[in-house]
Amino acid sequence: MPPGAFVRVLFPTHEKPRRPGLLHIGYVLGSTTKDALLAYTTSQPWASGVPLPAGARLFDFDEAAALNQSRPFILRLDILAKLPLNADWFPHIHTPDQGVIAVAPARLRDEISDLAMHLVRRHRALIQMRGA
Amino acid sequence: MRLDPARVQQLQAAAEAENRTLTNYVETALLRDLANREETSRVITMRAAPGAAATIDPRDVTRGSDESDTAYARRQAVLTELWSIPDSD
Repeated sequence: MPPGAFVRVLFPTHEKPRRPGLLHIGYVLGSTTKDALLAYTTSQPWASGVPLPAGARLFDFDEAAALNQSRPFILRLDILAKLPLNADWFPHIHTPDQGVIAVAPARLRDEISDLAMHLVRRHRALIQMRGA
Repeated sequence: MRLDPARVQQLQAAAEAENRTLTNYVETALLRDLANREETSRVITMRAAPGAAATIDPRDVTRGSDESDTAYARRQAVLTELWSIPDSD
């Protein structure tokens, strides 16, 4: 699974975090030969007046269209999943395109990596503050 | 719990629209609020599927076909750290 791919995935839900969930488009932060780490995306409109979480990156209509998506969407780097690369989680993995809708260009991948690194630092700081 | 009667009527109507009791509606709303707060306070929520590796070796990270050495090294670092975050649930 190429890094930076937007791929069809049964992203696990909050209610059933360890089972395949509804079909979504996930962003592949990276993978090994066996597993992948994905970030959640949603095209549900964000409630007005509610600030976006630190790990959210909004894609407007034009950016979404460039990634073969018909609606604006939000990439949530604060909601991640570690998933085995198999058909239980990636229902189109055995098709020629593996369910990949688009692959982010290098500049966008770098921007997302930087945002993820920023989140990692915040996460680390929070853990230290809690003394965990 | 004491609520303004007008507010109770609103809540009752919302509950009926979803074929639920007022108690169940309020309980669900409170649980959803708690879950949202918990998720926000975590910074990162990780969901780990059964069978997925808990951690990875940076050398095992698949490299993109057009990825520069610098970009790959940066992604290896961030990915290894993200991957080590345990399941949140």
